[in-house]
Amino acid sequence: ANTAPLLLLQKTPRIYSVELNGAKDMKQTDKGDGKDKYRGLQDNCLELRKNQRQEHLTKEIDLDDHKLSNKELETKYHTNIVTGLSSTQAAELLARDGPNALSPPKETPEIIKFLKQMVGGFSILLWAGAILCWIAYGIQYSSDKSSSLDNVYLGTVLALVVILTGIFAYYQEAKSTNIMASFSKMIPQQALVIRDSEKKIIPAEQLVVGDIVEIKGGDQIPADIRLLFAQGCKVDNSSLTGESEPQSRSCEFTHDDPLETKNIGFYSTTCLEGTATGMVINTGDRTIIGQIASLASGVGNEKTPIAIEIKHFVHIVAGVAISIGVLFFIIAVSMKYRVLDSIIFLIGIIVANVPEGLLATVTVTLSLTAKRMAKKNCLVKNLEAVETLGSTSIICSDKTGTLTQNRMTVAHLWFDNQIFMADTSEDQLKQTFDQSSGTWASLSKIIALCNRAEFRPGQERVPIMKRVVVGDASETALLKFSEVVLGDVMEIRKRNHKVAEIPFNSTNKFQLSIHKTDDPIDKRFLMVMKGAPEKVLEKCSTIMVNGQEQPLNNSTAEAFYTAYMELGGLGERVLADEFPETYSFDVDAMNFPMSDLCFVGLLSMIDPPRSTVPDAITKCRSAGIKVIMVTGDHPITAKAIAKSVGIISANSETVEDIAKRLNVAVEQVNKQDAKAAVVTGMELKDMSEDQLDEVLTSYPEIVFARTSPQQKLIIVEGCQRQDAVVAVTGDGVNDSPALKKADIGIAMGIAGSDAAKNAADMVLLDDNFASIVTGVEEGRLIFDNLKKTIAYTLTKNIAELCPFLIYIIVGVPLPLGTITILFIDLGTDIVPSIALAYEKAESDIMNRKPRHKKNDRLVNKPLAVYSYLHIGIMQSLGAFLVYFTVYAQEGFRPSTLINLRVEWEKDSVNNLEDSYGQEWIIIALILSYGLGSITALNFTMLRPQYWFVAVPHAILIWVYDEVRKLFIRLYPGSIRDPGLPYSPGFVQNIVWKDVQSN
Amino acid sequence: MAALQEKKSCSQRMEEFQRYCWNPDTGQMLGRTLSRWVWISLYYVAFYVVMTGLFALCIYSLMCTLDPYTPDYQDQLKSPGVTLRPDVYGDEGLDISYNISDNGTWTDLVHTLHDFLEGYSPAAQEDNINCTSDKVFIQESFRAPNHTKFSCKFTTDMLQNCSGLEDPNFGFEEGKPCFIIKMNRIVRFLPSNRTAPRVDCAFLDQHHKDVQPLQVEYYPPNGTFSLHYFPYYGKKAQPHYSNPLVAAKLLNVPRNTEVVIVCKILAEHVTYDNPHDPFEGKVEFKLKIHK
Repeated sequence: ANTAPLLLLQKTPRIYSVELNGAKDMKQTDKGDGKDKYRGLQDNCLELRKNQRQEHLTKEIDLDDHKLSNKELETKYHTNIVTGLSSTQAAELLARDGPNALSPPKETPEIIKFLKQMVGGFSILLWAGAILCWIAYGIQYSSDKSSSLDNVYLGTVLALVVILTGIFAYYQEAKSTNIMASFSKMIPQQALVIRDSEKKIIPAEQLVVGDIVEIKGGDQIPADIRLLFAQGCKVDNSSLTGESEPQSRSCEFTHDDPLETKNIGFYSTTCLEGTATGMVINTGDRTIIGQIASLASGVGNEKTPIAIEIKHFVHIVAGVAISIGVLFFIIAVSMKYRVLDSIIFLIGIIVANVPEGLLATVTVTLSLTAKRMAKKNCLVKNLEAVETLGSTSIICSDKTGTLTQNRMTVAHLWFDNQIFMADTSEDQLKQTFDQSSGTWASLSKIIALCNRAEFRPGQERVPIMKRVVVGDASETALLKFSEVVLGDVMEIRKRNHKVAEIPFNSTNKFQLSIHKTDDPIDKRFLMVMKGAPEKVLEKCSTIMVNGQEQPLNNSTAEAFYTAYMELGGLGERVLADEFPETYSFDVDAMNFPMSDLCFVGLLSMIDPPRSTVPDAITKCRSAGIKVIMVTGDHPITAKAIAKSVGIISANSETVEDIAKRLNVAVEQVNKQDAKAAVVTGMELKDMSEDQLDEVLTSYPEIVFARTSPQQKLIIVEGCQRQDAVVAVTGDGVNDSPALKKADIGIAMGIAGSDAAKNAADMVLLDDNFASIVTGVEEGRLIFDNLKKTIAYTLTKNIAELCPFLIYIIVGVPLPLGTITILFIDLGTDIVPSIALAYEKAESDIMNRKPRHKKNDRLVNKPLAVYSYLHIGIMQSLGAFLVYFTVYAQEGFRPSTLINLRVEWEKDSVNNLEDSYGQEWIIIALILSYGLGSITALNFTMLRPQYWFVAVPHAILIWVYDEVRKLFIRLYPGSIRDPGLPYSPGFVQNIVWKDVQSN
Repeated sequence: MAALQEKKSCSQRMEEFQRYCWNPDTGQMLGRTLSRWVWISLYYVAFYVVMTGLFALCIYSLMCTLDPYTPDYQDQLKSPGVTLRPDVYGDEGLDISYNISDNGTWTDLVHTLHDFLEGYSPAAQEDNINCTSDKVFIQESFRAPNHTKFSCKFTTDMLQNCSGLEDPNFGFEEGKPCFIIKMNRIVRFLPSNRTAPRVDCAFLDQHHKDVQPLQVEYYPPNGTFSLHYFPYYGKKAQPHYSNPLVAAKLLNVPRNTEVVIVCKILAEHVTYDNPHDPFEGKVEFKLKIHK
C-alpha cells in the first residue's frame, strides 16, 4: 500500500511476568515470618516480639471476606447491599467499634515531659545538694537559733536553678514540637455511603463495618472494603506494598490471599480511576494498614545517640564531682573541720563541678539547628534526632517516592534500530534525541493520538510536568512526554478527530484508535495502536526505518527483541507503537483489518530517579555512609534504579552479574569478588540472623527487593547489630515499622502517609533525598559544636573547684562562694556556649567516616584531660593571680593570706590585721552592685583594672590551644583530637574576679 | 559507666580489667606502654613546671610592684572599725553580763582588760616618744632609728581610773565598769584635721535615754584620741605603734536589766552610719549587770 503508513502503538502493561506474582512472593514472605525468621533465636526479647508479629500475621490471614459471596457477606455483617445499614445500626456499631481512624501514637503527657526535664541529667545531683543544704540549716538551727540563713539561700538558689533550666529546656522542646502539631492537622476525609437506602456523604471516621460505600477515581479508600461492584477500577497500593504499578480491582475472588485478591480494597490506598462499590469489612486499627501501623507503635523507640552521649557525659561529670567531693569531705573531716561545714564544702565542690546551664545549652543548640534544618525543608520532630543523622552510618532508603519521582516517565525510545534516551529529570525540558527522522514524526503522532489521558482543564499556566492528568500512569507519562515534545496535544487530537477506539484491556493487551487525519488531500482514516510489544509485533508485517516502510523480516524482528530485552533489563516498562490506512468499520464487530500494520517503534518508561539523588548518594558515600535500598518493588527495577542513582556503583557487580559475565554457575563465583548484592524478600526469608549479618558486612552495596514491612524491620535490626546508627527513609505505611525501629526515621512530607510521618523522627518537606545530606552535615556539625561547648564548660569547672580546694587545704579566705559559682555557671554556660553553636563546619566534615557509636564519644578521655588538666589549670592560675593581686593591692599579701581563714571567718575578730598593720572588720555578707544589697551574695565592686590582670593567661590559653591545633594539623592522628574550640578562658577569668574581698 | 550497662559477667570484667592493667600482647600498662608513660609523664612534669614558674613569676612581679609601706588601694577601707574590750560575744554581737556579787562572773572580764593593757605598759612603750602636740604628727622622712618613723607613746596611766593601776577591778566590782574603746588602724588615715576624735557613749534604747541619760566618765579626759597619734604609717615604718585608747567608765547602768549601749567616734572623717557594717565608726554592746 502506498498509503501513509499506519503505525501501531502498543502498550505492554508488564514485560516481566515476575511482577504479576510479585505480591504473592511478598505475601508468602509475610506468612513465613513468624515461623522462619527467628529460627534458632534464643533471645527472649526477640521471641516475644516474634509472638507479637505472629499474632498480627494470624489476624491478617483470618480475613476471609473475599471468599464469601455477596449473600454471605450480607448475613455476616447484617447489612443489605442495596439499602445499606440503617442509621441506628450504624450508630450502634460505631459505639461498639469506635471511629474509623487510626489511633494516634501515644503521646507522653506534658506533665511527664516537664518532670523529666526536672529530674534528668544533673538535676538529681543539684536537688540532692539543695536538700542537703536545707538539712544542714535544719541541724544548725536546732543547735543554734541564730545561725545564718546562708544554707537556706544556697538550697533555694540550687532548686531555682534546676527549675529554671528545666522550664527553659521544656519550653525549647515544646516550641519545636509545636511545628509538628500544626503540620499533622489534616482535612477530614469524606465518604459516600448508602444508609437507610439513601446516599449520604459522611466523614470517613463514622464508617462502620457493613456500610456500603461508593468510591470513584481520585478518592482515598475510606476503610478496608470488599468490592461488590467495580468498573475499570484501579488502585495505587504503593503505600501498602511499595509497588508503583496501579493494581486493577474487580469484584471477583481471584486469590486465597486477602492481599492478593482483586476484590478487596485497602484503607488509605487511592483509587486511581474507575468506580466501585464495596462493603466495609474492617475499620480503624483493624484494617490491614492499621495493623501495620500498630506494628510500628509496638516497636520500642531507641534511645537517640545524643541522649546516650549526654548520659555518658553526665556520668563522667557526676563521677568526677562526687569523687572529688567525697575525697575532700574526708580530707576536711580529718583536718578537724566540723562535719556540717564539710558537707557544705561537699556541696560547693559538686556545684563547682556541675555545669548547670549545659543541658539547657544543648537543648538550645539542638533547637537552633532544628530551625536551620526546617528552613532547608527538614522538619525535625524529635529534637535529639538532629544529631542522630550526623552519626548515621547506614541509610536504608525506600525506593519509590524517595529515590524516584514516583511517576512514570518516558525513559528510552527505540526506532530506526536505535535506542534513544529521553530526559527523565523533573522538568524534562531538554529532550536531546534526534527528532529529524521521518520515523519520529510518525511515532510522535501515535503517542499523541493513541492516548486517552487528558489534562484537567484550566492548567495552562502550570508547568507541564506538574499538571494534573486524568488517566493511568503510563498514558500520563506519554501525554506529558508528547506535550513537551510536540506542543499542544489537545489541539493535535482535535485536528485528527477520533472516530473509533478500542480501549486497553488485559485480554487484548493493546489499545487502538482510528482518526480522521488533518491531511486535506488524504481522506483515508488513520489507525493507531499501542500495547505490549509482542502483541503489537504480531499484527505487523512491515517496520518503519528512516520514515520508509520496510518488510519485517527475521533480522529486524531480532533487532526489535534485542532492544526490547535491553530496555526491559533496565527495569523499564516497554510499549510498542504502529499505523496503516482504513475503510469503513464498526468497532464492535472489529470489521477493520488488524494485521499488516507497520511497526514504528518502542517506548520504555520508568519511574525515574530524582535528579538530585545520585549526587546526594555520592556525598553520602564520601561521608562514609552506606546507602542500602530496601524496596517492595521488583528486583530488576530496584537494581536498575540502584545503578542509575549510584547505590550500586558503575563498576561493581553482583554475584549473578559475575556468573553471567564468566558464563559459570552462580555457586562457582567467588563471593568476595562481588561488591554488590541484590537480595529479595524470598531469599531474606530463608536467611538466619548470622547470614543476614554476613550479607550486611560483606557487601558494601546492597539492594533489598520485594521486602515486606516486617522484613524491613529485620534489615534495620540487622544493621543495628553491626553497631551502626541506622537511618530509614520511607513514605508508605509499609515503611512505618522500620521508620520507628530505626535510630532515625525520615518520612517524606509530600508523598508520605500519615502513618509514616507519625513513626518518623524527621520529615523531609520537599521529599528530596538530598536534604538528608544537609541533615547529615548539620548533625555532624552539631556534634562537633557540642563537643566544643562541653570542652569550654569543663575548663571552667577547675577554675571554680580550685578555690575550694585551696581554701580547705591552705586556708586562704574563700575566693568564690557557692552561690557565686552558680551565677557564673548560668551566666557563662548558656550564652557564650550558644555562640559556639554557630561555629562553621570544618572543611572535611563530610569526608570523615561517621563516628562509631561506642568508640567516638562526645566526651572522651583526651577531651576531659585536656579541659581539666591543661586549660582548666591555666585558667585557675589566671584566676588565682587576680585573687592574689586584689588582696595584695588592698593590703593582704599572699603570705598573710595563708591560714588566715580561721581569723577571717570569726565573727568576733573586728580588727584583723593585714600585711601593712591595718586593721579590718570582715563582714561576711555584703553586696553592693548597684541593685542595693542582697545578703546572700558575697560580692563587692572591684576596680576596673582587675578585669585585665588575667589577660596574659587568656592569651596563653589561646596560644596553647592554637599550637595544639597546629600539631594536630601537622601530625594528624598522632594525638586524638578532642575537638576543642577557641580559648574559652577569658570570660570566666573575668567573672571569677567578683570575689568577696572585703 | 556505659560499660556497666553491658551485660558482662563479673569474671569477664575482672579479666578485662587485668588486661587493662597489664596487656602482655602489646606491653601496655594501664593503656600505655612504659615508654609512652615516661614521655607523657615528662610532658606533664614539664607542663606543670612551666605553669608553676609562670605563676611564680607573675606573683613575684606583683610583689615587686607593691609599695612596702602603703597599700596600693584603700577603697575597701575608708573609715576605721571600732573594737571594745572586754569582748564577749553572744548570739548577736557583743554581749556582756556579770553579777556584781559573784566574783567569778567578772574576773575573766577584768583579766581580759589586764591582758590587753599589758601592751601599753611603760616597758612595752619604751621605744616610743612622748608627744605633747595637739596637731597631727606628719613625718615625711625616716628619722627614727633603723629607717623607721617615730610613734607616740600611749601608756596605761593615761587611762587614770580605768588604767587598772588604782582600781585593779576596773570598776566592775562596784557596778561602774570600765570599757576600753579602740579605733582600728588605717595607713595614712586622718580622722580629722583640727579637732581630736572623741568617743561618745549612750544608750541605744530610747526608753533608757528618756528616763536617765547614760553618765560616762571618759579617760583620757573628754574621751579624745589625741591627733598626734595620727597618721599611722604602717607596720614597716612604725613597728612599735600602738593604737590610742579611750576608756569609758559607765556610771549609771541600771541593775538587772539588759541595756544596749553604743559608743560612736565623732570625727570629721569617721562614719558610723554604714548599714552593712555594724562596727564601722561605732561599737554596740549589750550589758547586763546583776546584783
